[in-house]
Formats: sequence, structure tokens, C-alpha cells
Amino acid sequence: MKKVFALLLSLTLCVGLLSACGGSKTETPASSGESGSSTATGSVYYLNFKPEQDEAWQNLAKAYTEETGVPVTVVTAASGTYEQTLMSEIAKSNPPTLFQVNGPVGLANWKDYCYDLTGSDVLGQLTSEDFALKDGDATLGIAYVIESYGIITNKTLLAKAGYSVDDIKSFADLKKVAEDITARKDELGFAAFSSTGMDGSSDWRFKTHLANLPIYFEYQADGIGTTDAIKGTYLDNYKAIFDLYINNSTCDPAVLSGKTGDDSRNEFLAGEAVFFQNGSWEYGNLVGDGKFTDDDLQMIPIYIGVGDEANQGLCTGTENYWCVNNSASAENIQATLDFMNWCVTSETGTKAMANDMGFVIPFKGAQESPNLFVKQDATYTAEGKTPVSWNFPTMPSENWKNEVGNALTAYAAGTGTWDAVVSAFVDGWASEYAAANG
Amino acid sequence: MEKKRTLKDSILTVVLGILSLAWIYPIFMILFNSLKKETSISTGTAFQIPNSGSFAGLENYINALTSKGFLSAFWYSLVITISSVVLILICCSMCAWFITRVKSWYSKALYYMFVFSMVVPFQMLMFTLSSTADRLHLSSPYTICIIYLGFGAGLAVFMFCGFMKSIPLEIEEAAMIDGCTPLQTFFRVVLPILKPTLISVGILETMWLWNDYLLPYLVLDRTKGYMTIPILIQYFRGSFGKVEMGPMMASIMMNIIPIIIVYLLCQKHIIKGVAAGAVKG
Amino acid sequence: MEKTIRRYWPVFVLPTLAAFIIGFVWPFIQGLYLSFCKFITIDNASFNGLKNYIFALTESDFLHSFWFTALFTIVSTVCINVAALAIALALTREIKGTNLFRSVFFMPNLIGGIVLGYIWNILLNCALTLLGKPLLSLHAPYGFIGLVILMCWQQIGYMMIIYIAGLQSIPNDYLEAARIDGATERQILWKVKLPNLMPSITICLFLSLTNGFKLFDQNLALTGGDPAHKTEMLALNIYQTFYGRSGPQWKGYGQAKAVLFCILVVVIGLVQLKSTRSKEVQQ
Repeated sequence: MKKVFALLLSLTLCVGLLSACGGSKTETPASSGESGSSTATGSVYYLNFKPEQDEAWQNLAKAYTEETGVPVTVVTAASGTYEQTLMSEIAKSNPPTLFQVNGPVGLANWKDYCYDLTGSDVLGQLTSEDFALKDGDATLGIAYVIESYGIITNKTLLAKAGYSVDDIKSFADLKKVAEDITARKDELGFAAFSSTGMDGSSDWRFKTHLANLPIYFEYQADGIGTTDAIKGTYLDNYKAIFDLYINNSTCDPAVLSGKTGDDSRNEFLAGEAVFFQNGSWEYGNLVGDGKFTDDDLQMIPIYIGVGDEANQGLCTGTENYWCVNNSASAENIQATLDFMNWCVTSETGTKAMANDMGFVIPFKGAQESPNLFVKQDATYTAEGKTPVSWNFPTMPSENWKNEVGNALTAYAAGTGTWDAVVSAFVDGWASEYAAANG
Repeated sequence: MEKKRTLKDSILTVVLGILSLAWIYPIFMILFNSLKKETSISTGTAFQIPNSGSFAGLENYINALTSKGFLSAFWYSLVITISSVVLILICCSMCAWFITRVKSWYSKALYYMFVFSMVVPFQMLMFTLSSTADRLHLSSPYTICIIYLGFGAGLAVFMFCGFMKSIPLEIEEAAMIDGCTPLQTFFRVVLPILKPTLISVGILETMWLWNDYLLPYLVLDRTKGYMTIPILIQYFRGSFGKVEMGPMMASIMMNIIPIIIVYLLCQKHIIKGVAAGAVKG
Repeated sequence: MEKTIRRYWPVFVLPTLAAFIIGFVWPFIQGLYLSFCKFITIDNASFNGLKNYIFALTESDFLHSFWFTALFTIVSTVCINVAALAIALALTREIKGTNLFRSVFFMPNLIGGIVLGYIWNILLNCALTLLGKPLLSLHAPYGFIGLVILMCWQQIGYMMIIYIAGLQSIPNDYLEAARIDGATERQILWKVKLPNLMPSITICLFLSLTNGFKLFDQNLALTGGDPAHKTEMLALNIYQTFYGRSGPQWKGYGQAKAVLFCILVVVIGLVQLKSTRSKEVQQ
């Protein structure tokens, strides 16, 4: 009996191993089922960058599958790990068919994997050529969302402190208001800024978005659009605004390193702070039942005391470009292109992107977004203010951002100096640029 | 003389007692934090025992169990651990018997290859191993045991070989003369003698498999949502702009509790297994 | 007999061997090859010569992580072994509650690295906050001390078990004889117990050495390499180079680092084997 059992066992093992090598394994009906269907009609695997919109994408994917029968898998990378996840997923036998890069610098790393979108339906839907990401003649990526960020202001609280948003027209105004609120913090019961969270889920607001401003003004001054070595002309202004944030905040600078994006938002929602630096993508989290109404909020430009502050608008741009993986099978590429086109043309798709995700999409079929901050951006532009462009796609690497973030965290906590931030900013730029392009 | 020794011993008992209280304190800390409301868990208050204001009952446990697929992660962890341990025990003991009983250049070569694989760090293989597993469709919790058999064979074969050498050949020879095939001999004669070793190796492998993080993280197919408990705990930290301390603490507790139960049940075997494993390893 | 067994090799060896080839031999060879390449996936690897190795050996973060790892390994090895030996000596005196103490000290060993890392992350950060000191992820020396404490907590129990086994195998006659000759407790410890414990000591030393060098999970969960890669150990540094950076060159660098790391660990392992061998001969 035991002999038979043993023989059977070893036989099944061998067979199991061999059939595993053959590529089909009876124990995994899920995987074999899916690979079967993918050869017939193609399938889509979208590696989503935006954790806030994970649920909306999952629902949209489900709706698409119900409508067309084409399977769509959406996987969302945890915040701060997109590159890491893409790196490991792209090497798999079932790699993402749709992924994203953050602009020219990201494209340089991934262009070998980008399918040329020239002539595709979805490209024809773009409202402007400017939203296409090109490499020579090939169009390798298309922007799918335009966003704005600035300082989201709780107007109700600001009025309580005796000011209105019209009082803030420059960095000097902002500083005066913030410091006045801090001085009366106990009496008012709230602080000026919500916590400058330097946890990995939130530090991009400062190491990337805030850092855009000194870079923008330097590019403006020098009349360039990208550089291999940043000079750091306006780093003192960067320091001034960062100091303003951390010293007029809901909490002690020393504990900022552990504060997450959620902490910061919750403080703002709870009315513990007047200002919250973030972008139009936060709209859905701030407005709704038991939260704010549109009348409570306004997004104001981030003034750092450089340039023509009277005519400065919000920071508007994109770092989200869709790319189609050219190493996917022909059917999957077609399925992906169809999915993208559906997202930006169909009623369901455009509605979901406008309402559920709160996006303004640069496509002809776009629905008007109910997003207050987006409308305000349009108002600023109509008033003749110049939007600050997004220059962080020209930052030399993710690592550069991380090094600046680390230095900022240490500076905020008092364990590091501002010189370390400057060095990470200026020297780090040069060395990372060399490492990426050398 | 006698009196002095007893005094010294009681001081020692007290010192060790305090030390062991300190030793289990971290686990208690997690336990009582897992019973706190999420808003009451912060870096400054981790030492505070929950009071009426911060006590949340089993809320975190319910959150952890229902939200991020803890149950499926638990199930996958269990499947992976059990299937891999069983596979490793059977295959490696058979392989080790062959290696020790057949004296030739290739069995020796094989032995040294296994020993070599024991010391190679995982980082050396992480990329190539995960892409191999992906290509051969070994990236589901039900098939990953083959990867574990391959990667974990070294230690098991090495330990089995060490014990195998001490089994007298005469018993096996007698069995063979009586007409047993090598398979019968192995399963009827060798395996029963090997039982203590099987337990030792099984325990060492279980400890490794249940807690392993990087291998399943890289190998398991993300698009199907496969996760093990360590991956899930790591996930609570980094994902979606949020550190979900409450569910994370609860998950940590639910990861530790089965271990502690198993440990209390077969403490003797575990401690013996570790001592034996270390002496040979 | 040997011949009959030999004919059964497909049953006895093949399953393990096949899995071993899939799970070790093939990835290992591929890994060696890829360390000389520039690649993102295996299919698009292009030969790159020794460039990866030159980069790895000149990168300051990698060198820093090597020294950090080496220092950590030495400090933690000393701490763990001294403490484990002391506890083992105390627990072999047949005092009350020996079994209970042994169980308690061993328990942390069963908890996985990721979980351990988070437990201590919470605990130490709380302690540091109460003391008004910067958190673990802000101050590299605290990160280092935290790692040492964590490793001690985990490993002392394990090493203690080995030492206890070693102590119990010392024949009672030796100790009796020494006592009759009028040796003091201290003399017995240094002249009788320790020399007879040498095999256990070697094993424990090398176990804690290799554990220290290969440490990954704990490092990831406790400090994640912060601040600014200052507490990043070799294994984590390799992982970060490999997956944390985009661009085709980094994977090659990471693989080259992994090969160097592998050589280092294998050398330590060989020394271990050799020294345990020679100890066995002496006995």
C-alpha cells in the first residue's frame, strides 16, 4: 500500500514539475482561464499610478468588461512605489499593457517599452498636440489629466481670523497672515497650516510640488525648459516658504517625519488649519457629506516671493502620461488602445473621469468637471494670471526627489541643516543627471 | 556554603524574571495597542494602556479581517507553508537518502551543490528566480511550493544527510535482502527512524516559510491579488497615503497568535529541533 | 544494494533535482550572466562588460552600506553571544522557573522579520518621542542601535538554546573533578566550561555573522534605510538599486552588487565550514 502511495506521489510530483515547465498547471484554473481568453480578444492590464483613484478605476474597468467582455485588470501601486512596481511587473510574462510615465525624464527610461501611438484613435481625441509626449517623430505618451495645485484655503476659518483671500496677494501677505494666526493660535483654536507631513505618503507635496516653484522661476529667469545642472537661484525663497509651513503648523516640526497625507487632510477637514497645500485631485476628499461645501474653499497660488506675484496663477500642468507597452501582444495592444479610447470618448468613461476621479482631461469628449479647484484655475487664467507650469517632470530622477525629501525631513526635525537640502538639490541634480544620462 | 548558593540563585531568579517580563513586553504592547481606537495610536502614546476613552474593543480586528483581504492572505500563507513543508520533507529526505547511500561522483557533486545553495543570499537570485517562476506559471500560492522546494532544498538535504549517516546500514540491508524495494525500504525502515529529524527540519522550514517576505512578494502574481500575511502587513504601511495603525496592529497580533499557540503546544520539539539543527548546520 | 537504489534515481532524486534546477541552479547562472549586462527584462539584456562592477565598487552608498553592515554584524554578534551565553549559564544552574524563562526568551525567534521590525519601530519611536529625541528614521545612530536591539531580542533565545545544549553535553565528571580539586566557580567557567563549549561558540558566532550580513526584512521594516540611505544594509541596498530606481542601467548594477554580496557571504560560509570541520577533528 505504502509503495503504491509513494510511487503515485513521486509520479504526481514529476508530472507536476514537467507540466509546470510546459506552462499549464491544472491547479490554477484562474491563470489558465485568463490566458485562454487573452489570446482570443486581448486583455488590458493597467498599472495605475494614483492611489486616490484606485476605486474609481476598478469600477470603470468593471463597467468596461461588462460592456465589451474584454477583461481589464487594474493594479494600483502603493504610494511612492510606482517605479518599483513597474520595474518588477514589466519583466513578467503578463506585463502591464498600459502604464504611465511622468514626462520626458520618465520617458527616457521607458521609451524602449512605449508603443508608437501615431495614428491611433485616442491620439486624435487630444484637444492639443501639446499634450502628446514625443520622442523624435514618434508619439510615445499622451497626457490624460490636467491638474492644478496651490494652497487650499478654508475661507470660513480665514474670515474668523479676520482676513479674506483677497488679503493674500504675495508671499509677504501670506507670511503676515500665517504668523498672525500662529500668534493667536490658542485664542482662535486653529493653526495656519495643516501638518507638513514628511511621511512617504505625503512628502511629495514638498519635495516635488513645492520644489517646482524655485525650479520654475529659475527656468524662467534663464529662459530654459530643462537643465543638466540646477543653480538653485531661488532656494532661499524655497527655504522661506518651507519654514513658514513648518513653523506655523498644527504640530511641532520634530514630529513631522511621521505625519502622513491622511493626517494632514484630516486636520484640514477637522478645521484645525486654514491652509493645506495640495491639488485639484483632493477635491473629492474635501467636499461632500459632513465635509466642506464649495463656498468654504478656495485654492490660492503658492507665493514664494519671486517674480510678478500679482499675476501669478496656480501651478497647472500634468505629470501623468499614458504609455502603451509595446512588448505586449498585438491583441493586447489593440485591446488597450480601445480601452483608452473608450475612457475618453464614451459617456461612461468621460463621466467617471470627470465626476468620480475629478479629472480635467485634455480630450475632445471631456465632460465639464464639477471640480471647484479646476474652475478656479480657469478663473485665474481668465483674469490674465499666468499659470505656473509643472517642471518636476524635468527633475533628473526619483532618487533626486527622495534625497531632497530626506534632507527636508531632517531639516524640519532639526537633525539636519538647510545646507544639506541645498546640496541634495544642487549637487544631487548634477550627479543624478549624470547617472541617468551617462 | 549551601545557604549562600540559594540566596544567589533566588537573586538570579528575580533578575531573570524581570528580564523575561521585559522580553515579552513588546508583544503585550502590540496587544493593547491593537485594542485602541485608531486615532489614539500615535508615536507618543504607544506605551499607554487603553482607557475608557481610547478602548475600541475588537474593532481593529474586525476592520483587519474584513477590509484588505486578511482572510485570503491567511489562507494563502497557510497553503504555502503546509504544501511547501510537506513537499520539502518528502522530496528532500528521499534525495538525501539517495545521496548518502549511493557513493559516486555525482551524488557528491549534488551534495556540494546543495550545501552551496544554502549560503547564497536571496538577493543574488531575486530577479531571475521571480522571472523563472513567472514564466513557468509557478506564481500562484498553489504552485509556489515548487520554487520553495528548489530554493529551500539546500538546508533540508544537508540536515537529512547529516542524520542519515548515523543510521546503521545493516537494518536497510536486511530489509532489502528480505525483498523490499528501495522505496519500501525507505518508507518502512528509514523514515520511521528519521522521525525526530523530520520534525526538526519541518519546524525550521515552517518558521522560515510562515515569515518569509521577499520571495513571495516578488514571485506571487500581483494581478490576482495574492498576498501572504507579511506582505499584507507591509501593505498596511505604505499604501494609499495612509498608515493604518489599528488594523496593522491587529494583523500583527493575528500573525503572532498562531505561532505562539503552535509554540506552546510543541515547545519541546521546537527547542530540540533548533538545537539539533544548529549543531548540524 | 547500492545498485538497486541507483536504478531508482528518477523517484528519489528527480523531483528535488528538477525543482532545484528551477529554483536555484538556473536562476543562479542567469544571475551571474546578467551581472555583466544592461537589462530591464531578461530578453532585452545587452552585454555590458565590467561596467556594472566598476560602478558598484565605486558607489559611495554601496560602500557605506558595506561598512554599516560590517559594523552592525560585529556589534550584534558580540552582544547576542555574550548575552545568550550568560543566560544559558544562568539557566543551567537548575534554578526555579528555568523552563518558563527558556520559553519566554526563545519566543521572539518565531516571529518574522517584517513583524519584528514594525513592533520595534513602534516601541522605539514611542520611547524616543517621550525622551524628546529625533525618531529612528531621522537619526542614523538611533537606527543602528535600534537594529542591534531588535537583533538581540530575536536572536538571543536561539543562541541560548544552542549554548544550553552545549553546556548540558559537558560530562558532569569534568565539573566534579574540578570542584574536588578546589577550583572556584570562575575558574570552572573559564577553564572547564568555555573550552568544552568551543564547538557551540563557533556555530553561534557564524550563525550570527551570516544572519547579520544577510539581514533584510528587519532592516526594511525598522528603518527602511532612512535617513538618506544611512541605515541601509547590503541586502536592502541591493534591493533598492534593483527595484527602487528606473532606467535600464540600474538592474545591472544591482545584479553586480548581488554577485559581490554573494561572494562575500559564501566566503564567510566557507570559513565557517572549515573551522567547524577542524574543531570536529580536534575532539
